[in-house]
Amino acid sequence: MVSPQRRQKRTVVDKNEMPNDTWGKARDELRQTVGKNNFVTWIEPLKLSSLANGVARFEVPTTFFGDWVSRNYSDHIRHQLANHGSPVDRLEFAVTRNAATRPNGTSLEPAETRPAAPARAASNNDDLPGAPLDARFTFDSFVVGKPNELAHAAARRVAEGGPVTFNPLFLYGGVGLGKTHLMHAIAHELQARRPELRVLYLSAEQFMYRFVQALRDRQIMDFKGLFRSVDVLMVDDVQFIAGKDSTQDEFFHTFNALVDQNKQIVISADRAPGEIKDLEERIKSRLQCGLVVDLHPTDYELRLGILQQKAEFYRQQYRDLKLADGVLEFLAHRITTNVRVLEGALTRLFAFASLVGREITLELTQDCLADILRASDRKVTVEEIQRKVAEHYNVRLSDLIGPKRLRSIARPRQIAMYLAKQLTPRSLPEIGRRFGGRDHTTIMHGVRKIEELMATDSQLADDLQMLKRLLQG
Amino acid sequence: MSGPEPRQMAFDLPALDAYGRDDFFASPANRLALATVENWANWPDGRLLLTGPAGSGKTHLAHIWAAETGATIVPGAGLAAARLDALVAAGDVAVEDAEAVARDPADQTALFHLLNLTAAQGRRVLLTSAISPRDWGLGLPDLLSRVQAMQAARLDAPDDALLSAVLVKLFADRQLVVPETLIPYLLARMERSVEAARDLVAALDAQSLASRKPVSRAMAAKLLDKADDPAEY
Repeated sequence: MVSPQRRQKRTVVDKNEMPNDTWGKARDELRQTVGKNNFVTWIEPLKLSSLANGVARFEVPTTFFGDWVSRNYSDHIRHQLANHGSPVDRLEFAVTRNAATRPNGTSLEPAETRPAAPARAASNNDDLPGAPLDARFTFDSFVVGKPNELAHAAARRVAEGGPVTFNPLFLYGGVGLGKTHLMHAIAHELQARRPELRVLYLSAEQFMYRFVQALRDRQIMDFKGLFRSVDVLMVDDVQFIAGKDSTQDEFFHTFNALVDQNKQIVISADRAPGEIKDLEERIKSRLQCGLVVDLHPTDYELRLGILQQKAEFYRQQYRDLKLADGVLEFLAHRITTNVRVLEGALTRLFAFASLVGREITLELTQDCLADILRASDRKVTVEEIQRKVAEHYNVRLSDLIGPKRLRSIARPRQIAMYLAKQLTPRSLPEIGRRFGGRDHTTIMHGVRKIEELMATDSQLADDLQMLKRLLQG
Repeated sequence: MSGPEPRQMAFDLPALDAYGRDDFFASPANRLALATVENWANWPDGRLLLTGPAGSGKTHLAHIWAAETGATIVPGAGLAAARLDALVAAGDVAVEDAEAVARDPADQTALFHLLNLTAAQGRRVLLTSAISPRDWGLGLPDLLSRVQAMQAARLDAPDDALLSAVLVKLFADRQLVVPETLIPYLLARMERSVEAARDLVAALDAQSLASRKPVSRAMAAKLLDKADDPAEY
């Protein structure tokens, strides 16, 4: 760190202007440039404590907060300070000294060493009515990319089990972007680092179910006591209690009681607190007063990263299976909406390939995952088949259906007959009718001819595969 | 014969379906699905979605699986009325015609909870459906993504071998003795679906009862002619 004395001469603060006026103006600009949500979460809480010698010092509530702002907004902040006549070389962040949350001298940085022995599983949580944790949902198995790095960092921070710095941590995002994964990871990590903590993870619907049961059994005091005795409460999919009035009420009181005791709360939902329909206003505002983090939809790189990690895992599980080049890229490109579906696709592929004992190729992939890759299971008609076959072999549709017996027409006609029998449930007489009133025996003959040829003519077999895919596409 | 033929009233009593493993006719159209179901110990996350057109054998496979695992079979329609916790406490669960949950938001939520409950308690789940989840029309995205992530097995429309077996079984179920040559004869002329086979056999049975004559090729020809466009022959 540069000693402040050495830079004494370069004071840039105008004597007539308090640093906070500069900051006030810079802040107004920042509101425009970083967006309202980011501004409220990250810029507004910053307190400028000094602006001198090319260094702007800010007070921040937590180290994590400072790190995050420094990594993501320092260019914006320096730019705006310069625009308002106070160029600085550097930003410094110091945790607010009067923050009562932290005993002096305790580092907020993550401890680098994990406890040598895994924690006794949930030793302190045996009486808690939580949902079981999925052993696969750990931080190690969470693939971090740009769309989810903030959520990941915040979850990591909570998982350190240190003093509560933002309460609640509210994670939201579309389906299958990793909210539940992060919550389970927090619980796993806390169990390992701080086995003495009572950690309760459950879904909002389980909270409701427990509550209703307690009401029915007249054990509401036990219920309250139990939920208010935890150190960390994590409630998944909180949107499920929207519109359930007495459950919301109880949730609100539990929430407040825990916040008052300075206990950490982590909440997830499929949308931002303000956008959850039928959620009481007072709950919305409570949920917004901590750190609200959005898990963004995945980008291609993140999806590919997720697939690569998962594939590595499966390679060890299915040692004999081969995975062809390009399959992961294909999946990352085609399945874009949902990580659960994306991971499920890979799981399905490996299970399927292992069952049939074949290499995972693009072809096998398209076959196995047709239901999610295709837009619809189209019912193919005889007419479509005729049209596509005519197109493919460059013959006129009228000729394909008509009476000409030239070989260059007869073969495509038989192929169309074969496909009509394969891809539609039409009776053979019916198919015959659609091929210019031919007899069903003619159709049978055509189908048999193609079946014979397919066995020896690989070009024909390929053509048929291609046409089938085209038609069912 | 002169005058109107004497007719006997025929009641279409549903023939008893036999759902044992030995009654399942394996063919290329269903071999993979059968193998997947029998491999239930290795289903990823203990879940399988079985899709296939009507009559392709979904219910049969569900029964085979249930017999092996002691699973309870419940219909998708009206799932919200089921006691889910008791259901899951009892063991593995098969939901038949799972696509029907889409018709009622309460049923969708119930299926969602059922999947979560079974996962939490280490139970297996088999869903059967005629169509793929994409087309169920689910309004609960969390449910859709869970179902789409499931291992899936597809029963294809019946091939000729399977359809012949189905016809033979359908005649046998009704204790009808038919000439051997009738099966390929029907196969070449009927719509190639299990539903069509069911209708056809039921119609032949009724015809045979009403006319007090055994099922014959001539009888079938007449029936198929009637069902078909008369311009065909």
